[in-house]
Amino acid sequence: MKTRLLLFILFFPVLVYSHGKKFGSYTIHGNVADRTTRLPLEGVTLSVVGGTGVALTDKAGVFSIRLQAGRMWLRCEYIGYRPLDTIVTVNSDLHIDFLLSPSPQALSQVNIQSTAEPHKEVSTLDVVVLQGSALEQTRGLSLGDALKSVTGVTTFQTGPSIAKPVIHGLTGSRVLILNNGVALEAQQWGQEHAPEIDPFIANQIQVIKGADGIRYGADAIAGVISVSPKSLPTDTGVMDGEVNAVGMTNSRLGAFSAMFEGNLGKKLAGLSYRVQGTFKRSGDVSTPNYLLGNTGLLESDFSAAIQYYHKNYGIEGYYSNFYTKIGIEFGTDVGSYSDILMRISEANPPTTYPFSYFIDRPYQTVDHSTAKLKGFYHISDSSKLEVQYAYQVNTRNEFEELSLSASLAPAIYLQIHTSTLDLNYEHKDGGGFSGSFGATGMNQGNVRLYGYLIPNFVDYDGGAYAIEKYRHDKWLFEAGARYDYRWLRAFAFDANAAKIDVTTTHYSGTSATLGTTYNFTDNLKLTGNYSAAFRPPSINELYIDGVHASLAEFEIGDANLKTEQANDFNVQLNYASHWINVDLEGYYNHINNFIFEEPTGQFYHSQGGELLEFQYTQGNVNFRGIDLGITVKLVDSLDIISKTSLIYAWNETIHNYQIYTPPMRLQNGLTYHFGSFGPFKNFLIGADDIFVAKQNDVPSGYDFAPPPNAYNLIDAHIGFKLNINKTYADIDIAANNLTNVAYRDYLDRFRYFADEPGRNIIFRLRVPFQILSNHNNNN
Amino acid sequence: MIKLKHAVYVLLGTALLYTGCSSKSEEAVQPNIANETITQASLKFTNQANSADTTSCTYTFLLDNNNNVIGTDSTKLILKANSKYNCVVYMLDQTQKPVFVVSNEIKQRENYHLFFYQPTPITTAPVISNTTPYIPGTPVTPNAAPLNLTIARTDLDTNNPPMQVGLTSVFTTGAASSGNLRWVLRHQPNAKNGTYAPGSSDLDVNFITVIQ
Repeated sequence: MKTRLLLFILFFPVLVYSHGKKFGSYTIHGNVADRTTRLPLEGVTLSVVGGTGVALTDKAGVFSIRLQAGRMWLRCEYIGYRPLDTIVTVNSDLHIDFLLSPSPQALSQVNIQSTAEPHKEVSTLDVVVLQGSALEQTRGLSLGDALKSVTGVTTFQTGPSIAKPVIHGLTGSRVLILNNGVALEAQQWGQEHAPEIDPFIANQIQVIKGADGIRYGADAIAGVISVSPKSLPTDTGVMDGEVNAVGMTNSRLGAFSAMFEGNLGKKLAGLSYRVQGTFKRSGDVSTPNYLLGNTGLLESDFSAAIQYYHKNYGIEGYYSNFYTKIGIEFGTDVGSYSDILMRISEANPPTTYPFSYFIDRPYQTVDHSTAKLKGFYHISDSSKLEVQYAYQVNTRNEFEELSLSASLAPAIYLQIHTSTLDLNYEHKDGGGFSGSFGATGMNQGNVRLYGYLIPNFVDYDGGAYAIEKYRHDKWLFEAGARYDYRWLRAFAFDANAAKIDVTTTHYSGTSATLGTTYNFTDNLKLTGNYSAAFRPPSINELYIDGVHASLAEFEIGDANLKTEQANDFNVQLNYASHWINVDLEGYYNHINNFIFEEPTGQFYHSQGGELLEFQYTQGNVNFRGIDLGITVKLVDSLDIISKTSLIYAWNETIHNYQIYTPPMRLQNGLTYHFGSFGPFKNFLIGADDIFVAKQNDVPSGYDFAPPPNAYNLIDAHIGFKLNINKTYADIDIAANNLTNVAYRDYLDRFRYFADEPGRNIIFRLRVPFQILSNHNNNN
Repeated sequence: MIKLKHAVYVLLGTALLYTGCSSKSEEAVQPNIANETITQASLKFTNQANSADTTSCTYTFLLDNNNNVIGTDSTKLILKANSKYNCVVYMLDQTQKPVFVVSNEIKQRENYHLFFYQPTPITTAPVISNTTPYIPGTPVTPNAAPLNLTIARTDLDTNNPPMQVGLTSVFTTGAASSGNLRWVLRHQPNAKNGTYAPGSSDLDVNFITVIQ
């Protein structure tokens, strides 16, 4: 408390002035920026200490919060910065500007107040932010698994090590993933292709639920996941580090991540850097009754960032590399329809294996590199120009069990090269208008070797957009439009004629969004949004022609597929008071020309037996659902959290349910905060109950086996901060599937073969530390 | 300046960790040899009573240039009633030049391959043990006239204890009858235990069979 008081005195560049109005409650608004660079800070939390009300700043660093009249203790906090406290007397609408100083020790100080899900007011779309302790509790998990705690988000899995995020029932190329501002361009079309992102780089993961084609172009028809590292330190001469270690009993996973960052002092003020690396290794995963052979995983990631900020301009370079080798469970590489039926009829896998870290065939390796160069220029206080260029290379090798020949080559080799150029102009005027417009361009091409799955292709994309927001009194209005064009040339191999078929296709589409938020009272607001977005068919949907390894499917593409058109309506109701926080969202996403696989009813005769034939086709599908999150805080030390995700999907064309729709998911938990005793700070104990219903709404004839039964899991965790040698260490011990329930999940393609993992006890340690401080040369 | 030293350690540690972990030599790609394909599979029979009495049946896969199957062709298996035949497996990959004899390769990899021979229709479920080459789960049709054929594998692999393979076998025919012979090669690396279940199928074909 003493230090906080000191900080309060030292850093009090807070400007307070009033407008003079006389109502019962008032709006406090203002800007939050970095003290040194004067750059706006996005995602800063503003909260009332000992009261209610939380707000986050938008992209322009602007926040707005409604408060009751009286004396308020306002806290402004952001990861990587020293929190700033100020006491204000609210008797009119206020404008407050906060200037935050980067903090070497900030990581151990910030403790994000847990609301059900912090929502950002930047947009009328539903944006959920995963950060702070909620994010820390997912360390060591894959990106997909980390997001399961967000309502409306689940995963589509291929065994325990491959998870793709699903937003409102849609996944794959319908969900856009941003890695530090760069749209991840990998082979996202594949069901067993997990996103190539190391979650350790993130200090914030944003999930936009719903179609958002405006800012991100085609493909974002289900939602956007944005993984952002914290901003680089800007205090001169500092150098900090952070070490994360995670150990898990199930699969005996060990993960180690180290990061250090700093800012060069004196003459090179404004130049800062960060280097980060992660290594992860795990062996075979255990279910309650048996071990899953060959489910080990190896991952090594590296990222480096360097930036130079000057008063009005800045330049930033970023490089990241992600490498993983994932074992594919033994016994899931079935060659025929009769094999898969046999696997389904068995209660347990026929062969058991001893534990091993060794990753045998079949396995896949993925290497993804991203290089990014970004520059910005502040034209004036209220407008900013940004340019970003990124180059990505994604290389995927899939190795199957050794065939009879001596070939060690992978069954499939795919490499995809993508360069993107983004241009964005942002503006904000005093009258409540803010917005941005820009243009994007992309070029993509691929190289394939060995087995034929998809053809070589070259793709050119271009798009232009504009989005404008207007804030007035209790209203926020948002409107935007975008146009995209895609030129795609595929070099498909015509197997019968033994020649290359060159086909060129053009796709174009418009995206639009229209939304409004109305604040009824300080506590209650209602938001409505309509978004239109489109997605051109992906390369595999157009040209795939081959056996789908590990599912007894023979897939046939359709080169004449049209673009998918999504019309997404959603309504959100948010209520926040000092003891309860309710976030309710209802959505209706109608997708025309939705691309899906339909069984042809015919069999393909391969040497190993018969395979079911599936053909890509289109239909109209609608998704309806409700996401509900409630946090109740009856006493200060106890949080009760309840989350419900309900979804219903109907394929109007085949007059049947949509396959692989997530079943109802309920998560109810409580966390008790014990406070501090002795060297333990922020001691807490929490437990969650997760119930996933059986999916009864399935189309018949589309699946090999009926959906698995409902299941109920219990997770528990203990967390505290420990003072070691003047440095705080965050320690968290969690038990997932505490009661060791044997279950199968509908959205796991390996549910035909084996159970899901059993009890897993996870140890997490995080130690942020300071290497150099700027106390000697502090101004 | 002790703090700077720490920084250097962290830098070195991170760099070492990274280089240590990103050894990718394991996946060094070998020259591009096409994955193995069976394009033709035959069973060759010699009557035990008369070595001049031979017959065979052949199943052929017609492939396109992507090695997708575009058609199949099979010959009928005709055996004499109440006889014993020695049977030998012969499998080819004709996509390779020279033509590759897959059955020789199976002999070398016998420790994780196992052949199954299933006559249908059958009136009663066959007794399944670790030595009978019957496919579990084969439907039983009590009222149909059965195909009077029993098969016994005659070769053993080098597993400990040795298990059957089925590259050679003896076919014993009964009274004249007709039906089908389903012939499956199971591919069971690290998992062969004499039963059908582990692994996947390398080959799964049917021959129309006539015992006359």
